[in-house]
Amino acid sequence: MFEHILSVMIFLPILTGVILLMTPASQGIARITGLLVSLAILILGIDLYVHFAATGYLEFVEKLAWVPSLGISYHLGVDGINLFVLMAASLLLPMVYLVFTTREKGFYANLLIAQGAMIGAICAADMVLFYIFWEIMLLPIFFMMGLYGGPKRIPATIKITIYTIAGSLLMLAAIVYLGVSYHAQFNEWSFAISDMAKLNLSGQTAILFFFCFIIAFAIKIPLFPFHTWLPDAYTEAPTAATFVLSAIMAKIGVYGVIRFVVPVFDEQLARFAILLACSGVVGMMYCGIAAIAQKDLKRMLAFSSASHMGIIALGVFCMNMQALTGSIYQIVAHATSVGVLFLFVGLIESRTNSRSIEDLGGIAAKAPVFALFFAIALLASVGLPGTSGFIGEFLIILGAIKFNVWVGVFAGTTLIIGVCYMLYMFQRVFFEKTNPNTSTFKDLTLVEGLTFLPVILLIIIMGIYPHPFLSKITPTTALQFAGDTPVVAQTVATNALFPELTIEKK
Amino acid sequence: MELSVNYLGLIPLFPLMGAVIIGLLHVFTCNRTRLPEKVYGILACIGPILSFILALRVWVALKALPPESRFLTHDVFTWISVGEFNVSMGFLADPLACLFLLFVTFIGTLIHIYSIGYMSGDVNYGKFFAYMNLFLGSMLVLVLGDGPLVMFVGWEGVGLCSYLLISFYSEDRANVVAGNKAFIVNRIGDLGFVLGMAFLFWGIGSGGFDYLSLSVNADNLAPGIALAVCLLFFIGATGKSAQIPLYVWLPDAMAGPTPVSALIHAATMVTAGVYMVARFSFLYAGVELAGSVIAWVGILTALLAAIFAMYQDDIKKILAYSTVSQLGYMFAGVGVAAYSAGIFHVFTHAFFKALLFLGAGSIIYALHHEQNIWKMGGLKAKMPITYVTMVIGALALAGCPPFSGFFSKDEILYCAFATGHYGIWLVGIVVAAMTAFYTFRMIFIVFHGQARDQEKFDHAHEPPSVMTIPLIILAVGAIFAGFFNLPGVFGGNLMVSQWLEPSLTEVHPYTSTFVEIFVVVASIAAFAVGLKLAWSKYGQGATKPEFSGFSRFAYNKFYVDEAFDRVLVQPYRALGATIWKNIEPNVTDAPVKGASRLYMMLGNAFKVFQAGYVRVYAIYMVVGLSLMTLFLSQSLN
Repeated sequence: MFEHILSVMIFLPILTGVILLMTPASQGIARITGLLVSLAILILGIDLYVHFAATGYLEFVEKLAWVPSLGISYHLGVDGINLFVLMAASLLLPMVYLVFTTREKGFYANLLIAQGAMIGAICAADMVLFYIFWEIMLLPIFFMMGLYGGPKRIPATIKITIYTIAGSLLMLAAIVYLGVSYHAQFNEWSFAISDMAKLNLSGQTAILFFFCFIIAFAIKIPLFPFHTWLPDAYTEAPTAATFVLSAIMAKIGVYGVIRFVVPVFDEQLARFAILLACSGVVGMMYCGIAAIAQKDLKRMLAFSSASHMGIIALGVFCMNMQALTGSIYQIVAHATSVGVLFLFVGLIESRTNSRSIEDLGGIAAKAPVFALFFAIALLASVGLPGTSGFIGEFLIILGAIKFNVWVGVFAGTTLIIGVCYMLYMFQRVFFEKTNPNTSTFKDLTLVEGLTFLPVILLIIIMGIYPHPFLSKITPTTALQFAGDTPVVAQTVATNALFPELTIEKK
Repeated sequence: MELSVNYLGLIPLFPLMGAVIIGLLHVFTCNRTRLPEKVYGILACIGPILSFILALRVWVALKALPPESRFLTHDVFTWISVGEFNVSMGFLADPLACLFLLFVTFIGTLIHIYSIGYMSGDVNYGKFFAYMNLFLGSMLVLVLGDGPLVMFVGWEGVGLCSYLLISFYSEDRANVVAGNKAFIVNRIGDLGFVLGMAFLFWGIGSGGFDYLSLSVNADNLAPGIALAVCLLFFIGATGKSAQIPLYVWLPDAMAGPTPVSALIHAATMVTAGVYMVARFSFLYAGVELAGSVIAWVGILTALLAAIFAMYQDDIKKILAYSTVSQLGYMFAGVGVAAYSAGIFHVFTHAFFKALLFLGAGSIIYALHHEQNIWKMGGLKAKMPITYVTMVIGALALAGCPPFSGFFSKDEILYCAFATGHYGIWLVGIVVAAMTAFYTFRMIFIVFHGQARDQEKFDHAHEPPSVMTIPLIILAVGAIFAGFFNLPGVFGGNLMVSQWLEPSLTEVHPYTSTFVEIFVVVASIAAFAVGLKLAWSKYGQGATKPEFSGFSRFAYNKFYVDEAFDRVLVQPYRALGATIWKNIEPNVTDAPVKGASRLYMMLGNAFKVFQAGYVRVYAIYMVVGLSLMTLFLSQSLN
């Protein structure tokens, strides 16, 4: 079984979800089944993590010929780049089943399908396989939003669906282009991602398809200015779907850039990196400033999430090891912190029937454990040292300074922008006086407490002792920059203000 | 030369563990059966006391070593290692860190003991001590951390704790807003620190990011980057140590319980900036411009805060502005490269400022949370211990010889004068007179004259001994701490400066005895003038004056807070609202909306052709067939 651990992690939830949809199971059974399956995935995920040897190359590889005439294969694997995205997808889901206990059967079934599809997209080492999972993972979100979302769910659902499908089509075109180019250059068919790095791509066409990939991923992340679907979607989706979207799916967008764009389109990336990096920084500032104007707790977190994704994306575009490693680390750090925050908003909504910041207040006095956990997740999200959020954010800023001083300086303002809205929100929701909405606010139950405890501890452990985690990532990121092409070196040298900062290339 | 020991990490760990244990006890019991206060009180003091004992051990161990190799290190684990960026969770105790350790843990312990009395009866007794322990632990990380990044952990940690403690009475919105302000303003400074670290790393950090490696490689740092790093770090220092323009958070921080103010102002937090500049003396010593900027910002802050302090009504705000002002002196000291003088003022200031705040706490406690000095008066009869100890603190703050503040302040002014910074010296002398004035204005109004609020006066009483004993101990410190660093003119040999020598890159300026005596006399004269003015105005009882003109302007703190609000806070909020209400729907999302509208328009346009009448389709067919025939006949030819 363990030679096929990845396949099990992909298809166990998908098949369970499909079976649940086809059988007249009650919602209780659906939830228990979902919980058990997600716990099984959690155990498999931990097992995989423990046995991950950090060689720098793909591990747990499964490869079967699928369409041999076109070189398409069923090809899975894990390396330092996708390991942590995989962990986010496989370890966090049990929380959802434990927190949202009274939803419909279809809700849980879709959640299962989403998890399997995401794990598939994360582990796929073949572009066609990746594309298929990438598309499947939108479906359950479509149904969850459209069926179980808030009052304005329909326009929000249509917007996110058309937006992402438009991106996906561009990506499909780019994938076909890569396959055809490979055939043209090497006279054989292949869609394996690792083969694409051998391609020598140049000229206008390459730039065109480079942007096809970038736009597809930029929509998913979302990168400014492709974020406009996000506030409505995150707000109107049921909180579980918002959790999946923000904690995991957005990260798959970043992962896509690292996996496809960085090694394959290195020349084009080097040329446009500054543009994309600025897009990340502007997005961070834009969404972070917009967050302070929000009255709806969930929408504020949506903007916060978009703001942080800008920084994470920036780390990828800086094209140095510190920033890239920081981005990958931040993927998990952000998934845990923002994931917990969204789930807590779900709890607040179910306890008070309100998400409006102005209706709440004084929760800290009524529910100290709740407030403590929320505060820890919040502090991780603003990047306080001692939490996981600091390590990634600092590495990204460090790398950004090397990439371009001004990008780095503006990226650093995330330190200030983040605390502005977060402290304001914490003040209005958790401090000040209680009111009729919150005067009987219940603290976390034992089950809820135990649900969140591991994640809260993980936030702290990853902040205090990140080395074991980082050492799983760095062998792969070191390989990414081992064979730097001269083009990358040139971009790094655009450091006009402080030429001393320019790093010699080996 | 450095010696590896395995107990340095424990020094911050004890209070941090205390914080976790007390915090968990509080969180899980506060809404059920409440634990007795004694449990929390005892638990809270264990950590600081153990840390103090270990600090003494560090001191003994360092003393046993020859001066040039007084470095103890403790690498606990590899913290972050990414490519050439390698940082370990390491701690370093050298003479500088050791001095800080000793007074931080000592005064921290006294403040904890005092708080047992001050906070009794508070609902969140446990929470308070959890935060206090966390605060102390963070400060110890800041002091002991080997390298800027580990220092930054403590640096942000004290920022967080100050936020938590300032907004401690969180039901009141004003307190929480003050806490937010402290955190956000500190974060602005922290941005400078983070960017400074990044520049420093890409400059010389790949050779190791701990202090010893950095100081060895400091010469390789390009001058431009060195200046940038120094100034960026100083931005961090202005945030944490409340200098212009980021001092605005500190006076508002008075919203927290009084022992917290003592901890923030005396032992922890605000001294961090001075410590950082001294810690990086190997960088600052080579960048004169940065030094001048620091010295001038420092002395101007000292002046500004002294002006504000002369007009305040709130006893804690007077002390708060006096802290800002004294910090200005410290920065003036480290700015003119007199690092040991600046650090020595941190040291003496810790005693007398903790004393003054805890004394103020006793008054506030006795008067049931009255902080307005115009509601006090004549209290020396009712609270003799508080009176005597506070007068000692006031004399030290005002720079009366032979109290501690005199020697440390004089050393800074002397160094400024001796290095040719006459302007800084002159402002310093003026501020010294103002300090004496505002300090004794407070003392005279509070303790002398007649009671202004008879009912409060009748209920006033000396606090319990758990609060007065720390006052007495601190008073002893405020008297004698100055003798540790007597300059030659008083027959001393600058003991503290000598002790700090291995940690700092500085040259002690030597001039003639005449200059030394001249500076001393000027300082004493300034003190005398300030005291005389205060006595003549407030010595025999006075009522609150009406402010007009300049005094009104100063009473309102030059409207700096209002200006910040107008120029930064309001526009920021407005920008957020504009983005959300206008830019997002009308600009950013416009192409998306436009695309869907275009799609609809196209659909509507093509709809015309689908008329649904057979005759229309017949025409399409005829036209189509004709065109095809035409095309075929053309192409066949």
